[in-house]
Amino acid sequence: MSYKISEEGNVATVHLDGEIDMDVTEKAKEVIMPLIEAGKEVHLNLKEVQYMDSSGISVLIESHQKAAELGTKVILKEISKSVLKVIMMAKLEQILIIE
Amino acid sequence: MTIEEHREFPVDSASLKEIRNFAREVLAKDELFSSTKDDVVLAIAEAAQNIVKHAYSGQPTGDTMRVEITFKDNELKIDLYDKGKPVIPENIKPRQIDDVKPGGLGTFFIGQIMDEVIFKTSATDWVNHLILTKNY
Repeated sequence: MSYKISEEGNVATVHLDGEIDMDVTEKAKEVIMPLIEAGKEVHLNLKEVQYMDSSGISVLIESHQKAAELGTKVILKEISKSVLKVIMMAKLEQILIIE
Repeated sequence: MTIEEHREFPVDSASLKEIRNFAREVLAKDELFSSTKDDVVLAIAEAAQNIVKHAYSGQPTGDTMRVEITFKDNELKIDLYDKGKPVIPENIKPRQIDDVKPGGLGTFFIGQIMDEVIFKTSATDWVNHLILTKNY
């Protein structure tokens, strides 16, 4: 997994790339959580994520819940077909914010 | 077509990518799997992740786990073996559908993708034996 962060005003956009599994979830959290804790609205661009397992989905849930707790939000953008399929399998398409 | 492939991998989260690649390679051998390949790869990877996370509590180990993929008589069978803590099948519960929390999703995914999931704890030379099957 690799990532790129860009910030504009209060919005931080994180472009994730590659496969997100248990082996990289800590790294993903280290990237996303500080932005949420800083009160940023986080846009997660998942266009280049070819694979995500339950560990990756857990990061999305934790991020969403942490943001809600701190009065901000995490928005999932340009979700790849394979990741969207897993989100839907987890029945989370109505819970997570997807644009 | 009949498929019989197996490989052993170190019990480590770093092996998960290799396991997925092994499964993709095997399932690419027959067009029959083309529409379900990604799902089955996810199920196999989730089962392997459960071994790392639960049978070994995420601790580093010198042990290996064995993954066997067999296709015969229109049945795809995945056998996973490990020597970790014995699994108590009654304790394995998938996430409830309306329970939005991290965790428990892997078992839920496996149940969604595969037709049958069987745990055995008497595998010769191993401790746990998980059998996943899907009919085509």
